[in-house]
Amino acid sequence: MTTPSLVAAALSAASPSPALGADASRRLFLRRAGAISLLAGTGAPLALQLAAAGSAVAAAADDYRALVCVFLFGGNDAFNMVLPTDAASWQAYIATRTQAPDPIALLAPGTPPVAGAAAGSPARLGGVLALHPVAALPGGRSVALHPSLGPLATMFDTDRRLAVVANIGPLILPTTKAQYAQASHPRPTRLFSHNDQQNTWQALAPEGASRGWGGRLGDMLAAANAQPIFTAISPAGNAVWLAGDAVRQYQVGTTGATRIGTDANGRLFGSADAGAALGRILGASRSGHLFESDLAAVSQRSIDAEVALRTALRPASDAAFGTAPASGSYNPANDPKLQYDNPLTGARAANGLAQQLQVVARLIDAGQSGAIGARRQVFFVSLGGFDTHDLQNRNQADLMARLAQALRYFDTTLGAIGARNKVTTFTASDFGRTFTSNGDGTDHGWGAHHFVMGGAVRGGQVAGTLPVLGPKNAANNNFDSSPDQLGNGALLPSTSVEQLGATLARWFGLSDSQLGTVFPNLGNFSQRDLGLMA
Amino acid sequence: MQQSGGSLAQRSTWPWSRRWFAVLALLAVLAGCGGGGVGTSTPTPPPAPPPASAPAPAPGIEKPATRTEAARFLTQATFGPTTADIDRLMQIGYAAWIDEQLALPFGSHRALWEAADAAIRSGATGQIGATAGQAEVIGAFWKQAVTAPDQLRQRVAFAWSQIVVISGQDSAINDQPRAMTAWMDLLGEQGQGSYRTLLESVSRHPLMGRYLSHLRNQRADTRTGRVPDENFAREVMQLFSIGVVRLDESGRPLADATYGPADIAGLARVFTGWSWACPDWPDNNCFANGSAGGLSDPERWFKPMLGYPQYHSAEEKSFLGVTVAPQGLPDPPASLKAALDALAAHPNVGPFIGRQLIQRLVTSNPSPDYVGAVARVFANNGAGVRGDLKAVVKTILMHPEARQVSGHSGKLREPVLRLAAYLRAFGATSESGFWRVGNTDSPTTSLGQTPLRAPSVFNFYRPGYVPPGTRAAAAGLVVPEMQIVHETSTAGYVNAMRDFVGLGVGANAASGKRDLQPNLKAELALADKPAELVARITERLVPGGVPAGFTGIVEQAVASVAIPALNASGSNQKSIDDARRARVNIALLLTLVSPEFIVQK
Repeated sequence: MTTPSLVAAALSAASPSPALGADASRRLFLRRAGAISLLAGTGAPLALQLAAAGSAVAAAADDYRALVCVFLFGGNDAFNMVLPTDAASWQAYIATRTQAPDPIALLAPGTPPVAGAAAGSPARLGGVLALHPVAALPGGRSVALHPSLGPLATMFDTDRRLAVVANIGPLILPTTKAQYAQASHPRPTRLFSHNDQQNTWQALAPEGASRGWGGRLGDMLAAANAQPIFTAISPAGNAVWLAGDAVRQYQVGTTGATRIGTDANGRLFGSADAGAALGRILGASRSGHLFESDLAAVSQRSIDAEVALRTALRPASDAAFGTAPASGSYNPANDPKLQYDNPLTGARAANGLAQQLQVVARLIDAGQSGAIGARRQVFFVSLGGFDTHDLQNRNQADLMARLAQALRYFDTTLGAIGARNKVTTFTASDFGRTFTSNGDGTDHGWGAHHFVMGGAVRGGQVAGTLPVLGPKNAANNNFDSSPDQLGNGALLPSTSVEQLGATLARWFGLSDSQLGTVFPNLGNFSQRDLGLMA
Repeated sequence: MQQSGGSLAQRSTWPWSRRWFAVLALLAVLAGCGGGGVGTSTPTPPPAPPPASAPAPAPGIEKPATRTEAARFLTQATFGPTTADIDRLMQIGYAAWIDEQLALPFGSHRALWEAADAAIRSGATGQIGATAGQAEVIGAFWKQAVTAPDQLRQRVAFAWSQIVVISGQDSAINDQPRAMTAWMDLLGEQGQGSYRTLLESVSRHPLMGRYLSHLRNQRADTRTGRVPDENFAREVMQLFSIGVVRLDESGRPLADATYGPADIAGLARVFTGWSWACPDWPDNNCFANGSAGGLSDPERWFKPMLGYPQYHSAEEKSFLGVTVAPQGLPDPPASLKAALDALAAHPNVGPFIGRQLIQRLVTSNPSPDYVGAVARVFANNGAGVRGDLKAVVKTILMHPEARQVSGHSGKLREPVLRLAAYLRAFGATSESGFWRVGNTDSPTTSLGQTPLRAPSVFNFYRPGYVPPGTRAAAAGLVVPEMQIVHETSTAGYVNAMRDFVGLGVGANAASGKRDLQPNLKAELALADKPAELVARITERLVPGGVPAGFTGIVEQAVASVAIPALNASGSNQKSIDDARRARVNIALLLTLVSPEFIVQK
């Protein structure tokens, strides 16, 4: 039920927000009027529109929503992140992944950790963490999480702000194993390839795509933002997910925007004139060369955004986001809120993902409070290292610990700034991996499990369909016993990235027809909404 | 030969007629290779016959007509033009200059690292108890980039390091600094030899084996369900040889994929049973640990990996239409030979690798004719040899399109090349002799790029990267280096260069100054003549010249710093010196951060 809040914002635009200039407000009003007619045109119930109108007065300040994509670069082994623990699945899992001398099978729920076992080994980590869903899972099945994901188990079981999406991946059409075997059945191109599947998750097309679905959501809703530059933001490098037709990604540093070149008084090598010249040199191309003008455009955005953010963001050391140091200047690496327990060393260590989410939280704070006049924002953060062809036990134990601490930090911080219900966070990755082991790791797969987190999420549920995990064939590494497993046990997805995208986009405020524009294959799936959002 | 500007409509098509290119390309090939024989084991499509109305190649292509043209060429072929290089090129012309460069021995990175290691161990550097490490890997790179006489070979080695990637960001690679310099030497020596040899050397290099996890990879075990690691099998095809889609001979993608999961599974079997060189090869402990009975090879991290038959798949191996029959006795070298022969003979290699080398040296968007000319030379160097990388490099640099300037030609200089061009243009030296530039990874405070430290095997940027929302994207162009350009890295680069210009580069040396300092004597002498100062600096850094609008802004900024008159006692000399230096700094920095400099046209 998302469109109403946008309508409410539209109706409230008659009295412009103090954060918006007169021109911006006028544009906003026109766009919002369009949004209302769009809603009417798609046949939203009259009662809904009236309800929206009724809450108009209060809605403007509250009408803020953000989507945050947490991208796990390298292809996360979801088989060891979310584990079906019903007897048949568990037996297949143990049989396939337990190999001397380096089994990559985690241990059954309740197995106590062995303190003396090798760092990162299943024995050292202890058993997987059984989850307790709100409603019994179909077929009497059960699931558990990787032992390093304790905070997320709590979010699932107790806070009910975390859901699992089972066996999701890029798809054109619903696809059975028999159909997959037919070359004529449409499928995403360049499956199993890192760069191409990163792009496909983000932009529904392989490398070379220049328009992602996060950015497309921004296109449709950026009119609600006073400063369009702050619609799609990444502290994690360029990400095509954030690029729309009109919306362009803004890259922010993890500690905020970086001032270009000059000192606090605008001087360069002591000269204010040189400082001013720097802006002119950087921000414009004099030759008309395409690359020069594109480069200059980035520089100008960098300059403008830094000016806008200089005063708009509350400091990172503010108690809502971090920990003020007893002395000296704030250093995020030393902030205990942004540190995790490294399961390999047993020590606390800086968590780069939490640092990224800190600046995201500061921008959300500025967005919802009116400091940068944003009502709809999409963010991209990332964690790398998931391409666990080898040393998977150690590497994934560490990565899961970082992920869990960072997401828990983010949830807590959003609570502190009153934004939990307004922000939905989801994980994504290149692909899932093979079920089989190559000795101490896994290879490229397709379908995977992912998390969706937030106050508006119907937590404690497993959306989509848990795959059937079967034993491998005696003579080869096919899995004929499973309708969901391909060669080497990789998952054939049963839920499409577009179904997840549409579910989130609807919550974000897109109409049915807009969903169809952003997600061209959505109509091929009977379930357009995964029921994840309250 | 040159074309300027052009409307947006023109930019979306190739500004020259394809026929004109084909003719020039053919002439360049024939001139470069002495014409002649076809007859490799791989069938090579005959080059198109020249049309009857073939125009003669423009005069001046053999020697640069102007110093500007020479500097443009040297921007493509070196780490940045110097006065001496321009003189030499003007004197002997393009072809002779390339031949002269390619005949030089490759300046070894490992030798520099080992010398630094010896100095550090001797205590001469005051680093007690230390050994050389990553800083010396990076130092060796910078010393060669800035000072090596074999500039072309060094530049091409850097290009290869971005196509066949290992990275010090991986801790297992980072732990082997000496072997990383050996890796650079491999790329330098074999990156201009035979492609087939290069492919084998990188496939068997233990650092590649570690990076893409085929070191110690084992054959399948049907009893346990263990399968071979597919990592290297996939990436050697996707990235190092043939790419994911079939290409025509000009590099244009065709509809079908080059390989599928079955090819990867087949090829993965080839890359089983490879591990370290070891005195007791093929002992099981050698395979597992690189040592047996306390004996190991001290050069095991850069000697070619050896095949260990007991861990090598004996099963049939099918990939790319080639089948290695089941082996009674597993034979890793035979399997490897079949695989690498198949990869190196694949028709995609010439256009796939050729296009990327063009992108690293000359232009992001080579025309099909340009790629085709390079691919034909890859297929046959004129003497019947396939994969002659010297001939490939020469063709890339001699092609008429490399001389052409338009509103979309050229490439972004990546940050490492920007700093290198600055250091070379102003004759920078290293006080320590170890070129302690150090890690420049941070996009927030530094270059956002360090040599040999890409984030993954997919390099710092992809050859097919389309920067969203840009004019280049609208024109259908790729701009790989834009993948690491964003609002943060832009600011970080400017701030880093401000410090580099103002203070020098790298760690502090014994004098208390930063280790790398440029020689700015001539520039300081011009400090009171802003127009001459700016002209001198831009001439050195921006080979194509700068527009008047640029000069005006920079001159005005330079002149904004007043140079006091020397007083009677001479007591204000330092203020005068500081003001002169500030003027030079301003002119340098504004040039180094300008779009005019960053885009290599």
